[in-house]
Amino acid sequence: MSTMVDKNMRILVVDDALTMRRIVINLLRQLGFNNMNEADDGTTAWEKLQLETFDLIISDWNMPKMTGIDLLRKVRTDAKYAQTPFIMVTAEGKRENVIAAVQAGVSNYIVKPFNAATLKEKLVKVIGEF
Amino acid sequence: MTTMSLMERIALLEQSQKGDMIPASEVWKLLDNVKEMFGEKPGTGHGHSSELYRELGELAKFINGAKKELQEVKASNIADEHLPNAANHLDAIVQMTEQATGRIMDECDQITNFHNDVKERLLSADPQIDANVLMGVDDAMNQAQTSVTHIYEACNFQDITVQRIQKVVKALQEIERQVLRMVVVFGLVENQSKLDEATKQELTEDAALLQGPQLAGQGLEQDDIDAILSKLL
Repeated sequence: MSTMVDKNMRILVVDDALTMRRIVINLLRQLGFNNMNEADDGTTAWEKLQLETFDLIISDWNMPKMTGIDLLRKVRTDAKYAQTPFIMVTAEGKRENVIAAVQAGVSNYIVKPFNAATLKEKLVKVIGEF
Repeated sequence: MTTMSLMERIALLEQSQKGDMIPASEVWKLLDNVKEMFGEKPGTGHGHSSELYRELGELAKFINGAKKELQEVKASNIADEHLPNAANHLDAIVQMTEQATGRIMDECDQITNFHNDVKERLLSADPQIDANVLMGVDDAMNQAQTSVTHIYEACNFQDITVQRIQKVVKALQEIERQVLRMVVVFGLVENQSKLDEATKQELTEDAALLQGPQLAGQGLEQDDIDAILSKLL
Protein backbone atom coordinates (compact mmCIF):
# COMPACT_ATOMS: atom_id res chain seq x y z
CA MET A 1 0.00 0.00 0.00
CA SER A 2 1.43 3.34 -0.93
CA THR A 3 -0.16 6.50 0.43
CA MET A 4 0.86 10.03 -0.42
CA VAL A 5 1.74 11.60 2.89
CA ASP A 6 1.71 15.36 3.04
CA LYS A 7 4.96 16.39 4.75
CA ASN A 8 3.25 19.69 5.54
CA MET A 9 0.69 17.94 7.71
CA ARG A 10 0.14 19.71 11.02
CA ILE A 11 1.64 17.74 13.91
CA LEU A 12 1.08 18.56 17.59
CA VAL A 13 3.83 17.30 19.93
CA VAL A 14 2.73 17.18 23.59
CA ASP A 15 5.19 16.61 26.43
CA ASP A 16 5.90 18.41 29.69
CA ALA A 17 9.64 17.85 29.18
CA LEU A 18 11.20 20.41 26.86
CA THR A 19 13.98 17.94 26.01
CA MET A 20 11.51 15.36 24.75
CA ARG A 21 9.58 17.90 22.69
CA ARG A 22 12.83 18.99 21.04
CA ILE A 23 13.87 15.39 20.37
CA VAL A 24 10.54 14.44 18.79
CA ILE A 25 10.36 17.62 16.72
CA ASN A 26 13.95 17.21 15.53
CA LEU A 27 13.41 13.59 14.57
CA LEU A 28 10.24 14.57 12.70
CA ARG A 29 12.23 17.26 10.89
CA GLN A 30 14.87 14.67 9.97
CA LEU A 31 12.06 12.56 8.53
CA GLY A 32 11.03 15.46 6.34
CA PHE A 33 8.12 16.94 8.28
CA ASN A 34 8.17 20.67 8.76
CA ASN A 35 4.90 21.80 10.29
CA MET A 36 5.14 20.99 13.98
CA ASN A 37 3.62 22.71 16.98
CA GLU A 38 4.09 21.88 20.64
CA ALA A 39 2.31 21.93 24.01
CA ASP A 40 3.70 21.25 27.48
CA ASP A 41 0.64 19.53 28.94
CA GLY A 42 -2.73 18.10 27.97
CA THR A 43 -4.68 21.22 28.86
CA THR A 44 -2.56 23.46 26.64
CA ALA A 45 -2.72 20.84 23.90
CA TRP A 46 -6.50 20.74 24.11
CA GLU A 47 -6.67 24.54 23.82
CA LYS A 48 -4.45 24.44 20.72
CA LEU A 49 -6.52 21.65 19.23
CA GLN A 50 -9.61 23.82 19.60
CA LEU A 51 -8.00 26.90 18.09
CA GLU A 52 -6.30 25.15 15.15
CA THR A 53 -6.66 21.89 13.27
CA PHE A 54 -3.98 19.20 13.52
CA ASP A 55 -3.52 16.08 11.40
CA LEU A 56 -1.44 14.08 13.89
CA ILE A 57 -0.94 14.14 17.67
CA ILE A 58 2.12 12.70 19.40
CA SER A 59 1.69 12.83 23.16
CA ASP A 60 3.50 11.85 26.34
CA TRP A 61 1.47 9.94 28.97
CA ASN A 62 2.65 11.42 32.29
CA MET A 63 2.01 15.14 32.36
CA PRO A 64 0.66 17.65 34.88
CA LYS A 65 -2.86 19.13 34.64
CA MET A 66 -4.07 16.71 31.96
CA THR A 67 -2.32 13.40 31.23
CA GLY A 68 -1.85 11.93 27.78
CA ILE A 69 -4.57 9.32 28.28
CA ASP A 70 -7.03 12.01 29.44
CA LEU A 71 -6.13 14.11 26.41
CA LEU A 72 -6.68 11.09 24.16
CA ARG A 73 -10.13 10.43 25.67
CA LYS A 74 -11.06 14.09 25.28
CA VAL A 75 -9.80 14.19 21.70
CA ARG A 76 -11.87 11.15 20.77
CA THR A 77 -15.05 12.82 22.03
CA ASP A 78 -14.54 15.64 19.52
CA ALA A 79 -15.94 14.76 16.09
CA LYS A 80 -13.17 16.80 14.45
CA TYR A 81 -10.51 14.54 15.94
CA ALA A 82 -12.38 11.23 16.19
CA GLN A 83 -10.18 9.69 13.48
CA THR A 84 -7.02 11.78 13.85
CA PRO A 85 -3.90 9.62 14.35
CA PHE A 86 -2.76 9.75 17.98
CA ILE A 87 0.57 8.24 19.02
CA MET A 88 1.24 7.79 22.74
CA VAL A 89 4.85 8.07 23.93
CA THR A 90 5.67 6.89 27.43
CA ALA A 91 8.47 5.64 29.65
CA GLU A 92 6.14 3.12 31.24
CA GLY A 93 5.49 -0.05 29.30
CA LYS A 94 2.72 -1.45 31.45
CA ARG A 95 0.31 -3.90 29.84
CA GLU A 96 -2.71 -2.27 31.52
CA ASN A 97 -1.62 1.14 30.18
CA VAL A 98 -1.35 -0.19 26.64
CA ILE A 99 -4.79 -1.77 26.90
CA ALA A 100 -6.28 1.41 28.40
CA ALA A 101 -4.76 3.45 25.57
CA VAL A 102 -6.15 1.10 22.93
CA GLN A 103 -9.58 1.22 24.57
CA ALA A 104 -9.38 5.02 24.52
CA GLY A 105 -8.64 4.96 20.80
CA VAL A 106 -4.85 5.29 20.52
CA SER A 107 -3.38 4.74 17.04
CA ASN A 108 0.00 3.49 18.23
CA TYR A 109 2.29 3.40 21.23
CA ILE A 110 6.01 4.15 21.63
CA VAL A 111 8.14 3.35 24.68
CA LYS A 112 10.93 5.74 25.67
CA PRO A 113 13.78 5.79 24.94
CA PHE A 114 13.18 5.47 21.22
CA ASN A 115 15.04 6.31 18.02
CA ALA A 116 14.21 7.78 14.63
CA ALA A 117 13.68 4.32 13.13
CA THR A 118 11.02 3.43 15.71
CA LEU A 119 9.30 6.78 15.25
CA LYS A 120 9.29 6.34 11.47
CA GLU A 121 7.95 2.79 11.75
CA LYS A 122 5.05 3.99 13.92
CA LEU A 123 4.34 6.96 11.66
CA VAL A 124 4.19 4.68 8.63
CA LYS A 125 1.68 2.50 10.48
CA VAL A 126 -0.64 5.38 11.32
CA ILE A 127 -0.32 7.74 8.34
CA GLY A 128 1.12 5.49 5.62
CA GLU A 129 4.41 5.21 3.71
CA PHE A 130 6.45 8.33 3.11
CA MET B 1 9.68 21.12 44.92
CA THR B 2 7.32 22.21 47.73
CA THR B 3 8.97 23.60 50.86
CA MET B 4 7.10 22.98 54.10
CA SER B 5 8.14 23.46 57.66
CA LEU B 6 8.64 20.48 59.95
CA MET B 7 5.48 21.43 61.86
CA GLU B 8 3.45 21.58 58.68
CA ARG B 9 4.67 18.18 57.55
CA ILE B 10 3.93 16.67 60.95
CA ALA B 11 0.43 18.13 60.82
CA LEU B 12 -0.07 16.65 57.35
CA LEU B 13 1.16 13.27 58.54
CA GLU B 14 -1.14 13.31 61.56
CA GLN B 15 -4.11 14.23 59.43
CA SER B 16 -3.44 11.41 56.98
CA GLN B 17 -2.82 8.83 59.72
CA LYS B 18 -6.10 9.57 61.52
CA GLY B 19 -5.38 7.81 64.81
CA ASP B 20 -3.08 5.19 63.37
CA MET B 21 -0.28 6.40 65.67
CA ILE B 22 -0.24 6.00 69.45
CA PRO B 23 1.84 8.66 71.22
CA ALA B 24 4.30 7.39 73.86
CA SER B 25 2.39 9.36 76.51
CA GLU B 26 -0.68 7.21 75.73
CA VAL B 27 1.37 4.06 76.24
CA TRP B 28 2.38 5.34 79.67
CA LYS B 29 -1.28 5.99 80.50
CA LEU B 30 -2.07 2.46 79.40
CA LEU B 31 0.58 1.14 81.74
CA ASP B 32 -0.95 3.12 84.61
CA ASN B 33 -4.38 1.71 83.80
CA VAL B 34 -3.04 -1.84 83.81
CA LYS B 35 -1.36 -1.16 87.09
CA GLU B 36 -4.64 0.07 88.56
CA MET B 37 -6.49 -2.88 87.06
CA PHE B 38 -4.31 -5.35 88.92
CA GLY B 39 -4.10 -3.18 92.02
CA GLU B 40 -0.45 -3.98 92.30
CA LYS B 41 2.78 -2.14 92.64
CA PRO B 42 5.75 -3.06 90.43
CA GLY B 43 7.41 -6.28 91.51
CA THR B 44 4.66 -7.31 93.96
CA GLY B 45 2.41 -9.35 91.67
CA HIS B 46 2.24 -13.14 91.18
CA GLY B 47 1.38 -15.51 88.33
CA HIS B 48 -0.06 -14.10 85.07
CA SER B 49 -0.39 -10.52 86.33
CA SER B 50 3.23 -10.53 87.41
CA GLU B 51 4.34 -11.84 84.01
CA LEU B 52 2.19 -9.30 82.19
CA TYR B 53 3.55 -6.50 84.28
CA ARG B 54 7.11 -7.66 83.61
CA GLU B 55 6.44 -7.67 79.86
CA LEU B 56 4.90 -4.23 80.02
CA GLY B 57 7.96 -3.08 81.92
CA GLU B 58 10.14 -4.41 79.12
CA LEU B 59 7.96 -2.59 76.60
CA ALA B 60 8.33 0.63 78.59
CA LYS B 61 12.12 0.18 78.64
CA PHE B 62 12.14 -0.40 74.89
CA ILE B 63 10.09 2.74 74.27
CA ASN B 64 12.34 4.79 76.50
CA GLY B 65 15.46 3.43 74.77
CA ALA B 66 14.06 4.11 71.32
CA LYS B 67 13.08 7.63 72.36
CA LYS B 68 16.62 8.31 73.62
CA GLU B 69 18.13 6.96 70.40
CA LEU B 70 15.84 9.12 68.32
CA GLN B 71 16.83 12.15 70.36
CA GLU B 72 20.50 11.30 69.93
CA VAL B 73 20.29 11.00 66.15
CA LYS B 74 18.11 14.12 66.06
CA ALA B 75 15.34 12.49 64.07
CA SER B 76 13.53 15.78 63.62
CA ASN B 77 16.69 17.19 61.97
CA ILE B 78 16.78 14.25 59.59
CA ALA B 79 13.19 14.91 58.59
CA ASP B 80 13.53 18.67 58.62
CA GLU B 81 16.95 19.17 57.03
CA HIS B 82 18.81 16.16 55.70
CA LEU B 83 16.08 14.48 53.68
CA PRO B 84 14.67 17.71 52.18
CA ASN B 85 18.26 18.75 51.36
CA ALA B 86 18.82 15.47 49.56
CA ALA B 87 15.63 16.06 47.59
CA ASN B 88 16.81 19.58 46.73
CA HIS B 89 20.13 18.22 45.45
CA LEU B 90 18.27 15.76 43.25
CA ASP B 91 16.16 18.65 42.00
CA ALA B 92 19.35 20.50 41.11
CA ILE B 93 20.57 17.45 39.16
CA VAL B 94 17.34 17.49 37.17
CA GLN B 95 17.83 21.16 36.30
CA MET B 96 21.49 20.68 35.41
CA THR B 97 20.79 17.74 33.10
CA GLU B 98 18.02 19.74 31.44
CA GLN B 99 20.33 22.70 30.84
CA ALA B 100 23.19 20.51 29.63
CA THR B 101 20.92 18.56 27.29
CA GLY B 102 19.54 21.83 25.97
CA ARG B 103 23.06 23.01 25.17
CA ILE B 104 23.91 19.74 23.42
CA MET B 105 20.81 20.04 21.27
CA ASP B 106 21.54 23.71 20.54
CA GLU B 107 24.97 22.69 19.25
CA CYS B 108 23.39 19.93 17.16
CA ASP B 109 21.09 22.52 15.59
CA GLN B 110 24.13 24.68 14.86
CA ILE B 111 25.89 21.77 13.15
CA THR B 112 22.79 21.12 11.03
CA ASN B 113 22.63 24.80 10.01
CA PHE B 114 26.33 24.69 9.20
CA HIS B 115 25.86 21.60 7.00
CA ASN B 116 23.01 23.20 5.11
CA ASP B 117 25.02 26.36 4.60
CA VAL B 118 28.07 24.46 3.30
CA LYS B 119 25.86 22.45 0.91
CA GLU B 120 24.37 25.62 -0.54
CA ARG B 121 27.78 27.23 -1.00
CA LEU B 122 29.20 24.14 -2.71
CA LEU B 123 26.23 23.88 -5.07
CA SER B 124 26.37 27.54 -6.03
CA ALA B 125 30.17 27.71 -6.33
CA ASP B 126 31.52 29.49 -9.39
CA PRO B 127 33.20 27.86 -11.23
CA GLN B 128 31.11 24.74 -10.56
CA ILE B 129 32.67 21.98 -8.51
CA ASP B 130 33.10 18.56 -10.10
CA ALA B 131 29.91 16.49 -9.70
CA ASN B 132 31.79 13.48 -8.30
CA VAL B 133 33.46 15.63 -5.68
CA LEU B 134 30.09 17.14 -4.76
CA MET B 135 28.56 13.68 -4.37
CA GLY B 136 31.42 12.61 -2.11
CA VAL B 137 31.01 15.70 0.06
CA ASP B 138 27.23 15.19 0.17
CA ASP B 139 27.66 11.58 1.35
CA ALA B 140 30.03 12.71 4.09
CA MET B 141 27.61 15.47 5.15
CA ASN B 142 24.72 13.01 5.29
CA GLN B 143 26.74 10.67 7.49
CA ALA B 144 27.56 13.56 9.79
CA GLN B 145 23.86 14.47 9.90
CA THR B 146 23.02 10.88 10.84
CA SER B 147 25.42 11.25 13.76
CA VAL B 148 23.65 14.44 14.78
CA THR B 149 20.37 12.52 14.76
CA HIS B 150 21.97 9.84 16.95
CA ILE B 151 23.05 12.54 19.42
CA TYR B 152 19.44 13.74 19.53
CA GLU B 153 18.24 10.20 20.13
CA ALA B 154 20.78 9.78 22.93
CA CYS B 155 19.35 12.89 24.62
CA ASN B 156 16.40 10.66 25.57
CA PHE B 157 18.52 9.91 28.63
CA GLN B 158 17.56 13.24 30.19
CA ASP B 159 13.85 12.52 30.34
CA ILE B 160 14.43 8.99 31.63
CA THR B 161 16.90 10.31 34.24
CA VAL B 162 14.38 12.86 35.48
CA GLN B 163 11.70 10.23 35.87
CA ARG B 164 14.07 7.92 37.76
CA ILE B 165 15.12 10.77 40.06
CA GLN B 166 11.46 11.54 40.71
CA LYS B 167 11.08 7.94 41.87
CA VAL B 168 14.02 8.38 44.27
CA VAL B 169 12.50 11.62 45.57
CA LYS B 170 9.27 9.75 46.19
CA ALA B 171 11.20 7.13 48.20
CA LEU B 172 12.91 9.90 50.20
CA GLN B 173 9.53 11.45 50.94
CA GLU B 174 8.30 8.12 52.26
CA ILE B 175 11.37 7.76 54.51
CA GLU B 176 10.84 11.32 55.71
CA ARG B 177 7.24 10.47 56.46
CA GLN B 178 8.23 7.44 58.53
CA VAL B 179 10.85 9.43 60.46
CA LEU B 180 8.26 12.11 61.16
CA ARG B 181 5.92 9.38 62.34
CA MET B 182 8.47 8.32 64.94
CA VAL B 183 9.06 11.93 65.94
CA VAL B 184 5.35 12.34 66.56
CA VAL B 185 4.88 8.97 68.30
CA PHE B 186 7.71 9.65 70.71
CA GLY B 187 6.58 13.19 71.32
CA LEU B 188 9.85 14.77 70.21
CA VAL B 189 8.12 17.84 68.78
CA GLU B 190 5.23 19.88 70.05
CA ASN B 191 3.12 22.83 68.85
CA GLN B 192 2.10 21.25 65.59
CA SER B 193 0.30 23.44 63.09
CA LYS B 194 -2.08 22.53 60.28
CA LEU B 195 -1.57 22.72 56.54
CA ASP B 196 -3.84 24.71 54.30
CA GLU B 197 -5.86 23.00 51.57
CA ALA B 198 -3.84 24.53 48.72
CA THR B 199 -0.59 22.98 49.98
CA LYS B 200 -2.24 19.59 50.39
CA GLN B 201 -3.62 19.83 46.85
CA GLU B 202 -0.16 20.73 45.56
CA LEU B 203 1.35 17.71 47.30
CA THR B 204 -1.29 15.43 45.82
CA GLU B 205 -0.56 16.76 42.32
CA ASP B 206 3.20 16.31 42.84
CA ALA B 207 2.63 12.71 43.86
CA ALA B 208 0.59 12.05 40.73
CA LEU B 209 3.59 13.00 38.59
CA LEU B 210 5.92 10.55 40.24
CA GLN B 211 5.23 7.60 38.02
CA GLY B 212 8.58 6.89 36.45
CA PRO B 213 10.08 4.55 33.91
CA GLN B 214 10.50 0.90 34.67
CA LEU B 215 13.94 -0.58 35.30
CA ALA B 216 15.49 -2.96 32.76
CA GLY B 217 13.64 -6.24 32.93
CA GLN B 218 10.56 -4.62 34.45
CA GLY B 219 7.51 -3.63 32.43
CA LEU B 220 7.09 -4.18 28.72
CA GLU B 221 9.62 -3.52 25.96
CA GLN B 222 8.61 -2.04 22.59
CA ASP B 223 8.41 -5.52 21.01
CA ASP B 224 6.04 -6.74 23.75
CA ILE B 225 3.85 -3.69 23.26
CA ASP B 226 3.85 -4.18 19.49
CA ALA B 227 2.69 -7.77 20.05
CA ILE B 228 -0.20 -6.55 22.23
CA LEU B 229 -1.08 -3.82 19.74
CA SER B 230 -1.08 -6.29 16.84
CA LYS B 231 -3.84 -8.21 18.62
CA LEU B 232 -5.83 -5.18 19.71
CA LEU B 233 -5.57 -2.69 16.87
